[in-house]
Amino acid sequence: MQSELNKGASMEKIKIIIDGKEVEATRDQCVLDVAREQGIYIPALCYHPEVTSSGGSCRVCLVEVHQGGRMRLVTSCNYPVREGLEVKTDTELVRRIRKGVLELLLARVPDSEIIQDLARRDGVETPRYFVDEGENYRYKCIACGLCAQVCDEVVGVNAISMLARSREKFPGTPFHKPSQACIGCGACAYVCPTGAISMKDDEDVRTIWGRQFKLIKCSVCEKPYIPEAQADWIVKTTDKDRSFFDICPDHRK
Amino acid sequence: MQAITSIQALDAYREKIRSKQKQDLPSVLVCFGTGCLANGARDVAEAFKQEITAQGLKIDLDVGFKTTGCHGYCENGPLVALRPRDILYLKVKPEDVAEIVEKSIKNEELVERLLYKDIKTQDVIAQYKAIPFYKHQKRIALKNIGNIDPTSIDDYILQGGYSALTKALGMDPDEIIAEIEASGLRGRGGGGFPTGRKWRSCKAVESDVRYVICNGDEGDPGAFMDRSTMEGDPHSVIEGMIIGACAVEAFQGYVYVRDEYPLAVKNMQSAIDAAREIGFLGKGILGSDFDFDIKISRGGGAFVCGESSALMRSIEGKVGEPRAKYIRSVEKGLFDKPTVLNNVETWANVPEIISKGAQWYAGLGTQGSKGTKVFSLVGKVNNTGLVEVPMGITLRELVEEIGGGVIGSKKFKAVQTGGPSGGCIPESLLDLSIDFDSLTEAGSMMGSGGIIVMDEDTCMVDVAKYFTSFLVEESCGKCAPCRDGLPRMLHILTEITEGRGKEGDIERLEELCDVLSYGALCGLGTSAANPVLSTIRYFREEYEAHIRDKKCPAGVCKELITYRIDAEACTGCTACAKRCPQECISGQRKEPHVIDTNRCIKCGVCKDICPVDAVRVE
Ligand SMILES: Cc1cc2nc3c(=O)[nH]c(=O)nc-3n(C[C@H](O)[C@H](O)[C@H](O)COP(=O)(O)O)c2cc1C
Ligand code: SF4
Ligand code: FES
Repeated sequence: MQSELNKGASMEKIKIIIDGKEVEATRDQCVLDVAREQGIYIPALCYHPEVTSSGGSCRVCLVEVHQGGRMRLVTSCNYPVREGLEVKTDTELVRRIRKGVLELLLARVPDSEIIQDLARRDGVETPRYFVDEGENYRYKCIACGLCAQVCDEVVGVNAISMLARSREKFPGTPFHKPSQACIGCGACAYVCPTGAISMKDDEDVRTIWGRQFKLIKCSVCEKPYIPEAQADWIVKTTDKDRSFFDICPDHRK
Repeated sequence: MQAITSIQALDAYREKIRSKQKQDLPSVLVCFGTGCLANGARDVAEAFKQEITAQGLKIDLDVGFKTTGCHGYCENGPLVALRPRDILYLKVKPEDVAEIVEKSIKNEELVERLLYKDIKTQDVIAQYKAIPFYKHQKRIALKNIGNIDPTSIDDYILQGGYSALTKALGMDPDEIIAEIEASGLRGRGGGGFPTGRKWRSCKAVESDVRYVICNGDEGDPGAFMDRSTMEGDPHSVIEGMIIGACAVEAFQGYVYVRDEYPLAVKNMQSAIDAAREIGFLGKGILGSDFDFDIKISRGGGAFVCGESSALMRSIEGKVGEPRAKYIRSVEKGLFDKPTVLNNVETWANVPEIISKGAQWYAGLGTQGSKGTKVFSLVGKVNNTGLVEVPMGITLRELVEEIGGGVIGSKKFKAVQTGGPSGGCIPESLLDLSIDFDSLTEAGSMMGSGGIIVMDEDTCMVDVAKYFTSFLVEESCGKCAPCRDGLPRMLHILTEITEGRGKEGDIERLEELCDVLSYGALCGLGTSAANPVLSTIRYFREEYEAHIRDKKCPAGVCKELITYRIDAEACTGCTACAKRCPQECISGQRKEPHVIDTNRCIKCGVCKDICPVDAVRVE
């Protein structure tokens, strides 16, 4: 997958205006990153700065952009900055549509604390539409795809992907069978904005995506800390030695 | 065949095939469009081949014979055209063939029962172009379809095919672009983006690799103009693409066709192969230093795969999911390279524009929408099928003159234009000019050119529900407004049509429409509000009748209607009582009958069967 942005393309400095204030940005940034540097509040769920293919799905980071006399509502997480761009993050339109999006997300995953918080902030307590029961509800999943993007782009094993379409779209392993490609690293669970992915460590066994992984114990503190499968994967793809994983990062010198 | 390596050689080749053909030979053209094939055109063609020989004639010597692409008048198929007299026979069966050969080929007579008969005037019309369905058409994109054998490149060349390419090769690429710009051609795939401007911006991007793509996904249910073009005149699309590639300096092209269109895939592929063999594709086209080739890419058929960014991902072998287009695909498209994507019909217009010139093309249509547009006209009109008309004719002309008006004695109610995410236009706007801007202003859109005519028996809330439910299933599921908003819109519509509508439902629908239009990622989501918004705009009282009075004025929504037998009208024939699946109609012979509304399931069998039309829906 490719990024919308010209990441790494150029460090050239340009000026844009956010909420009336002129600020400096580099050409490879998205509007969201620049706004965050300025301490401006824009909620964002599906975007991760380290994952170039992420963003664009949850639609809560909407902002108005004005350029050449034209106004558009865009997602700030993947809108590239351009010289002379004017951004408004808190207009009536932005608030109205974002509130609508959050009301829909709350109707989908009413149990998710983060969605509850964001929705409340925009004035939604309970959605006025029917509330989903079943899969979405149980998993708190907003189908943003960040888990699958991390697995593919950052971890590089491609064990999970977004399956099916419409309301049936969920992340999962191929055919919902335990995936042999999965290394149990838990990166997906770690990045999930709503905590929807279930990962449990029980003594030295980790359970995730329907598979169990034996964890290696640190020879110093005795704490289980990394799945054997993950250590094997790192050994295979880098020049690290397997003995490197005998000790946990806390006790490595 | 020997490759043609110069423009002169192509002209010489055309002369050679022309001289081999006998002029003014009586010929039989059997339509092999998908509709006619389904109605038995293959047997009719076989019968002609046998009968011609049986009657002592020789094909190619005494009689010309070929099979063609779709004539557009599918409901009257199998169609058989006779040249040069230009006669069209409708609904031809193998049994009719001997008589046609005897009377109309060997002699100059007509087989009257197979001719078009106007249902209103009862006039019988023999001449192809005099039939109302064809009379008002202006064919540019469809000009060859029905006239040529799509599997024969010679047939295309004979009609002047590939002379636009030879002309373009002699032009500067910028001159080609300027010509397309001056023609005013706008994309026929839905968005109506100016084609010349798209080419120019692609050309302006620094890159050694550029692509051109033909969008043949055609996901709108009921639309078949692109399929008919790819099946019936594949070379016009290929020639258009070669010219486009020459203009933007692309070396590779793709035609994206859905798997459900096997004949389109087959005809496109054989046309590409034939074009390559003769030297129109490949290295050093017609002796120039321009290299270009075309591959077919087959799609799985999801509606959203027709969306430009999803289509490009799909060609790349990835999941066909849209992505933000904040960087345009003319800059970063297929494989992140500058790409021109145009619709099948857009490409098919290109050779004619180059041949006849931008001025000629710009002389057709309206100020903002030049040329012609192909529509698939369906629904409750007398003549349905594929039509090409100049932009700017009115909806009324399309419905009444070409379509022959609404079927039976029913009243017209609305036309739905633009495919599943188009809108419904009421009778008061029937004089609206059909062009990109007028349709958008009216709350609908041109889309790919689907036109569905609806009569008074249509419930507009039900129509909105129907299109929304299509979109619910076709949403790719990537972004929240479309994935989670459309099912909620559908839920409210369902509640309304089933009698559980509440005050405030219309406003909630409007709010959801707002979130979709502004908040969704791709065009599917941002246009998905049209069916609901346009029906609220023009038929609000119908929504209110459902919500407040729990009534469906059109008598469609089952939960809101009751069937009753009019005692005055009923003759007591007992036909309905015998057929009622619920056995809930009672009454003595020759006495008025009564429906037990508690047990009635509103299947409508009684209404359909009643010989005196005594069943009322309320
Ligand atoms: C959901 C969706 C479906 C689309 N389907 C088609 C299609 O089937 N064929 C097509 O040519 N364009 C389709 N389009 C429009 C394309 O995205 C694109 O604008 C078009 O192919 C560009 O060609 P044109 O400028 O020649 O019209 C679709 C757009 C959307 C949003
Ligand atoms: S608008 Fe609908 S089809 Fe388009 S990206 Fe969003 S979910 Fe997918
Ligand atoms: S954070 Fe931008 S769309 Fe999700």
